[in-house]
Amino acid sequence: MTYILEAKDLRKQYPDKLALQGLNLQIEAGEVFCLLGQNGAGKSTTINLFLGFVQPTAGAAYINGLEVASNALRIKQYLAYIPENVMLYPHLTGLENLALFSSLAGFKYKESELLAYLAQAGLPVEAVQRRVGTYSKGMRQKVGIAIAVAKHAKVLLLDEPTSGLDPKASNEFSELLRQLSQQGTAVFMATHDIFRAKEVGTRVGIMREGELVDVRPTALLNANELEQLYLHYMH
Amino acid sequence: MRVFWILFTAEWRHFKAARGLVLLTSLVLLVGLYGIYYGTTEIGRQRQHLAELPALAHHNVEELKTKFPEPADAGEIGYYHTTFAVHHPTPWASLSLGQRDVNPYYVKLRLLGLQGQLYASENVNPAKVLSGNFDLAFVLVYLFPLLIIALSFNLLSSEKEQGILPLLLAQPVSAALVVGAKLAFRLALVLGLALVLSGVAMLWARVPLDGRVGLWLALVMLYCLFWFGLAFLVTGLQRNSAFNAVALVGLWLVLVVLVPGLLNVYVSAARPVPQGIELTVKQREEIHGGWDKPKTETMNRFFALYPQWRDTTTIKEHFVWRWYYAFQHLGDQSVQPLAVAYTDGLRQRYELVNRLNWLSPAINAQTSLNALAGTDLPTHLAFQRSATRYHDTLRAFYYPYLFRQVAFTHADYAKEPTHTFTSSSEISTTIRGLGKLLVSLGVVYAAGLLLFRARPINPR
Repeated sequence: MTYILEAKDLRKQYPDKLALQGLNLQIEAGEVFCLLGQNGAGKSTTINLFLGFVQPTAGAAYINGLEVASNALRIKQYLAYIPENVMLYPHLTGLENLALFSSLAGFKYKESELLAYLAQAGLPVEAVQRRVGTYSKGMRQKVGIAIAVAKHAKVLLLDEPTSGLDPKASNEFSELLRQLSQQGTAVFMATHDIFRAKEVGTRVGIMREGELVDVRPTALLNANELEQLYLHYMH
Repeated sequence: MRVFWILFTAEWRHFKAARGLVLLTSLVLLVGLYGIYYGTTEIGRQRQHLAELPALAHHNVEELKTKFPEPADAGEIGYYHTTFAVHHPTPWASLSLGQRDVNPYYVKLRLLGLQGQLYASENVNPAKVLSGNFDLAFVLVYLFPLLIIALSFNLLSSEKEQGILPLLLAQPVSAALVVGAKLAFRLALVLGLALVLSGVAMLWARVPLDGRVGLWLALVMLYCLFWFGLAFLVTGLQRNSAFNAVALVGLWLVLVVLVPGLLNVYVSAARPVPQGIELTVKQREEIHGGWDKPKTETMNRFFALYPQWRDTTTIKEHFVWRWYYAFQHLGDQSVQPLAVAYTDGLRQRYELVNRLNWLSPAINAQTSLNALAGTDLPTHLAFQRSATRYHDTLRAFYYPYLFRQVAFTHADYAKEPTHTFTSSSEISTTIRGLGKLLVSLGVVYAAGLLLFRARPINPR
């Protein structure tokens, strides 16, 4: 079976630190996998390896069956990425940023379609024609979400995507993830937010010191149990 | 290609939003236009001076006709009559003034000893000479690299520092394409600017449309590409914008200020040139000593050089012009080795600089543009040789009057030879310069590519 996202004995050794030790992971279409862990646990390194931003020391990462390291450009057609802090061109408007990134991804949308994506991401209508330099972090995050959604990617790689979003916007984002997942998009989300992981995740993984120490289906745990499990591994 | 074009047009929007860069680019455009104005005005001034010289020479003849209404001794005429050896510029000189501001573009000649006249020129303001020419070549060679640095020092570091790069490289866009589009936009902007300025300068100077237009544009293009290559190389180090700016400005200082300065010191030491004053003093001593030497000795030395005049009348008088002009000429002859050593020394220095100018593409570009414009040292030396030949012709014209003791009539003024010399482009020097620029270009881009290959771009 071809997984949308797969890691085989994926290992990353930095000169001063072993960031990831032998990660094995398979994520199917429509699955929302939430990766929990403290700062420095290896979550961002894992995302960077899937993005092809860093090269693995050993093992391999696969997106849609293609090895990332040898298909760095092709795999980006299948993935969308939302970093913890979405940064955009500050002198362009939200609409212009979305148009630019969408066109780079190969999509040429009409203005009405772009406005619809921004509205879906929750960006206020009055903000779309304002320069991004005037946006709050949450508003930039929403443009980042719109960019990811407009890409119609098979995989969403999310690194603390709700950081900077207010609770209402976070809930809307969770709802959006559920919709995308139902449409067959695989989601890989690194987060500190246990409750969000429980809410939207189909599986949750706990990472400690570069090692994936536990993976559970969220359906078998309630929020408290997940929190206890997480704390168990963190101590 | 589609993605490249999207990135390219996006760069235009980023550029428009960066008001400082728009201002700087506009400033360079204005400065370039001033450089064109400066160059064409300077050459226009020189042309006007040269155009006034025939009238001056005519006025001098009219004065002599009044002073000597009857047929006169040619010696008197030769002494008082002033003529000019003139060095006309090519139209290209307006674009690259080279040495035309420091070397005389005309020489006022009488029948006296040549060497004392050859180096006599108008005084120039030394402070102005120190500051140099503000022509188009100066703008292109010295200021354009600064514009290129200002546009390119944060080629990729800007996106990295703003945190945009991860999102950008998460799209199906390679880092190489991003760098390529950014470079291409800046290159188009700078080359467009250089092309517009060169075009305006060429039209204003009315340069002939021949291969030199292509050579000029090729030189300018390769020189700009070299500086973009340096920006590309420094970008490959993947350091922050501050480091890149300091590194590139440092390279500008090294290649545009330090290396030329050191090269000047080295060349001066390696190729010593006799002091001009030494030549002048020796010639004056020889000429002034001529008054006290026995006339027979002076004339025998002269006849050894010009035996065709040996059978002319023996000098018995206290003063005769043919004896006077003989010791004037012997004065020139006595300093001939020094004069040759001086011009040879200058030429050797020039050739040494040309051999070593691969060390600094700025020197290479400047010498190549000067060679193309016919404003370099070899052109000036060619003018001096031409002026020397003209002086020989003048002597050959007057000697029959002097030695055959033929009176100089008013009709003879019109028979006096005149001089003209027009610069020509040193195409071979320019082509060699182009070749060296190509090699420099190959080195920086190869080093940049190796660096990018060795260290793939990390968007974090």
